[in-house]
Amino acid sequence: MRKPAESAAGPGWIGRQREALGDAGALVLMVVVLFPFIWLVQMSFRPNKDIFGYDLLFMPTLDHYRALWTGAFSKSFVNSAITSGASTLLSLLIGVPAAYALSRGGFRSSRRIALWILATRMAPPIAFTIPFFLAYRHAGLLDTHLGLIIVYLTFNLALVIWMMQPFFDGVPRELEEAAWIDGCGVWQAFRVVTLPLAAPGLAATAVICFILSWNDFFYALVLTRTNASTAPVAIVNFIQYTGWEWGRIAAAGTLVMLPVVVFSMLVRNYLVRGLMAGGTKE
Amino acid sequence: MTVWSVGRDWGDARRRSFLLGLAPALLVLMAITVAPGIYLFLTSLTPLNLTMPDTAWDFSAPHYNYLDLWEDPRFSHSVIIQTKLSVATVVLQLLVGLGFALLLNRGTAVRRFARSALLVPMVLPPIVVGIIWRVMFTVDISPLHRAAAWLGLPIKSIITDPGLALWAIVFVETWEWFPFTMLMVLAALQMIPDSPIEAAKIDGANDWQIFRHITFPYIQQTLIVAGLFRLIDSIKAFPLIFVLTDGGPGDVTEVTNYYAYRQAFTFSLWGYGSAIATLMVVGIFVLSWIIDRLTRAVHAEAG
Repeated sequence: MRKPAESAAGPGWIGRQREALGDAGALVLMVVVLFPFIWLVQMSFRPNKDIFGYDLLFMPTLDHYRALWTGAFSKSFVNSAITSGASTLLSLLIGVPAAYALSRGGFRSSRRIALWILATRMAPPIAFTIPFFLAYRHAGLLDTHLGLIIVYLTFNLALVIWMMQPFFDGVPRELEEAAWIDGCGVWQAFRVVTLPLAAPGLAATAVICFILSWNDFFYALVLTRTNASTAPVAIVNFIQYTGWEWGRIAAAGTLVMLPVVVFSMLVRNYLVRGLMAGGTKE
Repeated sequence: MTVWSVGRDWGDARRRSFLLGLAPALLVLMAITVAPGIYLFLTSLTPLNLTMPDTAWDFSAPHYNYLDLWEDPRFSHSVIIQTKLSVATVVLQLLVGLGFALLLNRGTAVRRFARSALLVPMVLPPIVVGIIWRVMFTVDISPLHRAAAWLGLPIKSIITDPGLALWAIVFVETWEWFPFTMLMVLAALQMIPDSPIEAAKIDGANDWQIFRHITFPYIQQTLIVAGLFRLIDSIKAFPLIFVLTDGGPGDVTEVTNYYAYRQAFTFSLWGYGSAIATLMVVGIFVLSWIIDRLTRAVHAEAG
């Protein structure tokens, strides 16, 4: 997809030298930038007596991970998976038909709806947490999975509607027209013809929703205590109870980031679009 | 059945179905965004304090919270801190992100790999970013501090130094988010046609001249949009401050968002916290409106 390297650097000897130098520079900078991240991961495998050591050769241990597995942390991990998964599913269920309708409907108010969606993306979480906390106190939704799932809709739903629209725009209407003539209803045609063609976009959208919910700290901190607390909050909780036990903290941090790093590499081409949700339209 | 009537039936049926498909999303969005917004604004007009239940719907002095804010030095201090943090981190992110994009904009295998690997800071859970840097900033255990001490140049703790703590946050925030600018600039760089650059080379232009007069004009709008997006998100900074400094030492890293959180959730001054949050929403909407204008201008220019 890029223009070939030769055209930019020149095919000659000097060009190749420059190219190699640039590669080396890129590699060094990458290691420098990622060093703190790598440090945390290696710390999670170090035995406690040598937790701050910096010799590269050490006997890796899974002790810290084992301690987490048997402790309360594993439950928070499950909580994270439940709330992020359910919120992603729910927002797809409500948001995908809406995105399709906005893509095809040609409503006069489309512009205003898009602006509103942008606004919810931009609003500071504190503006949601205060009213949600007060309302949940009365509704008995504090420290429940359902409570968090609903709050996560505030950012996920807008993201789905915004991200799916261009994917639907890309599916030609003629295909749906043909399905209609064959006797399909509008939503049946959508399900049978349009949705499968937009499947890659759907998958990317789902993954980004999941990552955003999984990464949330602020809502979970405020709206849960023990029962429904998610993994990021659990890390902070056990720092508060047991102090800075670095090995376990490093292991917990590594576990929490693992799914996110894997998933985001799968959808890296869509990341900018998801993170910008509401901005420029391709 | 003529083609014309197929078209009309189809169009009518579709329109009805679309409204049906749109309705649930709009209702839910209404319930989870507009209703809380109204609730927030109404709460900001009361002196609500959960330890005193009868303060809940007391609208006898609706403007008091806002008057208090006007005269609250800690609030204005938080706005100044916020402005410093936002401006510094956005400028740095743009510079670092642009630099990396220019360096990595070659099709070699090494640089393609670096492009993917450098996305990691941006996708990490913010709480993990906080922990990673808490390790780096804690004197006894940080490899950086120990390396400095070994070189005979011991550095004092940065996050507990009132003069430096904010800059530590700026630094980490930049580390976390420069990939966003990098990614956007890389995408924009791909759109630049080869021919003007080649023509300039034939005319003897050097790298800087090519960047200044050909590349930069192409990516200028992208930089503006990326900067505005990061500007808005920088106002939400929370987990980093929570883990690294907890707003301290003293209140030197207490941004407006953090101040609102403390007023409501620590001091139980819900009315006051709501007033701060309401002002933040207003501020952010004004910024969003500007972004919308700008991106539409970009779109019009590009189309």
